[in-house]
Amino acid sequence: MGTSQAPLDRIAAALRAPSGWLLAAIFATWLVAVARAPLDSMQGVIQKILYVHPPLAFAAYLGFSLTAIGGALFLWRGDEAYDRLARSAAEVGVLFCTLMIVTGPIWAKGTWGRWWSWDLRLTITLLLWFVYLAYLLLRSFTEGSERAARFAAVYGIAGLLVIPPNNLGRGSLGEGMGTPFALGAAVCLVAFLHLLTRRVEIEGLRARLAEKLLAPRGAGRA
Amino acid sequence: MNTLAAILWKDLVSEWRSRDRVVAMGLFAFLVVVVLRFALPGTDPAEVRRLAPGLLWVAYVFAALLGLNRAFALELENDALAGLALAPADRGWVFLGKAAANFVLLAVVQAATAIVFGVAFALDLWPVAGRLALVVALGSLGICAVGTLFSAVAVRTRYREVMLPLLLLPLLMPVLLGAVAATAALVADGVLPFPPIQLLLVTDATFLIVSFVGFEYVLDE
Repeated sequence: MGTSQAPLDRIAAALRAPSGWLLAAIFATWLVAVARAPLDSMQGVIQKILYVHPPLAFAAYLGFSLTAIGGALFLWRGDEAYDRLARSAAEVGVLFCTLMIVTGPIWAKGTWGRWWSWDLRLTITLLLWFVYLAYLLLRSFTEGSERAARFAAVYGIAGLLVIPPNNLGRGSLGEGMGTPFALGAAVCLVAFLHLLTRRVEIEGLRARLAEKLLAPRGAGRA
Repeated sequence: MNTLAAILWKDLVSEWRSRDRVVAMGLFAFLVVVVLRFALPGTDPAEVRRLAPGLLWVAYVFAALLGLNRAFALELENDALAGLALAPADRGWVFLGKAAANFVLLAVVQAATAIVFGVAFALDLWPVAGRLALVVALGSLGICAVGTLFSAVAVRTRYREVMLPLLLLPLLMPVLLGAVAATAALVADGVLPFPPIQLLLVTDATFLIVSFVGFEYVLDE
């Protein structure tokens, strides 16, 4: 029967529960670490956004990279499981990127005194956010799943090649900031992984359901 | 190479017979220039010189979007797109032919728009015309490369007139950045600095390679 799971779906299913438990555990630790981190003498409480904002960026860029890689693998191998990975990664990446774009200006207003500055890093992030929102729109506006997957794969790859996120990880951490920052990065990456696995699982179930509904009557029970 | 010439010739001849795309793009670009002029009333000459490069490129990009939206519209009729896809020719050359046709149409519109723009904003572009043409050509090359690729995509989606700008505008920012910087230097001091040209060359090369390879996957069958 056509209900066999692709290796990717099996990996996602296997990772789902452990990543959830791990997330619960380190999320609590991270909250305590951020609360106990020294207060910045200049910026005050608002500086604590720095324990959230850059980790969100790692997760967002990871999502967009996985979208491009999944798309490339789909075009190369023609396996729809890679397309499901690309689509899921784009959705989760856009979610993290949105959170990053919301938290960034809050910190900037408190520190620089203005909500937004058009420096290279902010501009690139904003453009990538637009690109992958358009990616999701393109998917929903294209009829036929195979065609939508092809179109989206080309666009997802082009987006990352044309607007490369080339300036991660600038700046340095003060004393006492290392642990909560590292924990923040871990929380975001595990949260990303957890959401991604759930999303991939849903896409897999959806594909299997569609397959079942399309299969001739009786064959589904064999 | 023959494929490129054949597609280019076909597109130019069919455009020459109807002339609807060039007229629509040109008229639209003129209207954008007029709208911009009315949006910035009473600007003094120094201010105009500072703003002109960006405004000119806004008109160019809008005109390009309008034209690119129609680039594959003709191929949708009678399912000619399937014919193109099934043609025993390398799809990369088909892509280059379509992109070259778009480039030629856009260049005609851009030249006319530059004249109208110069009149509307009382800006003498004539002394830098040659170098400006080079900058505009480099900018259009990038626009037409990704534009042709995603025009072929957008034409087969719902809301295709909306889909193309949403797909294209974020990708075009690197080209615009270089083109506006180079144009600004030309208008301000009459010299052409190398860094923006370098940016344009690099993005053009990236866009061309990505679109050449990507076109293979956007035609059905």
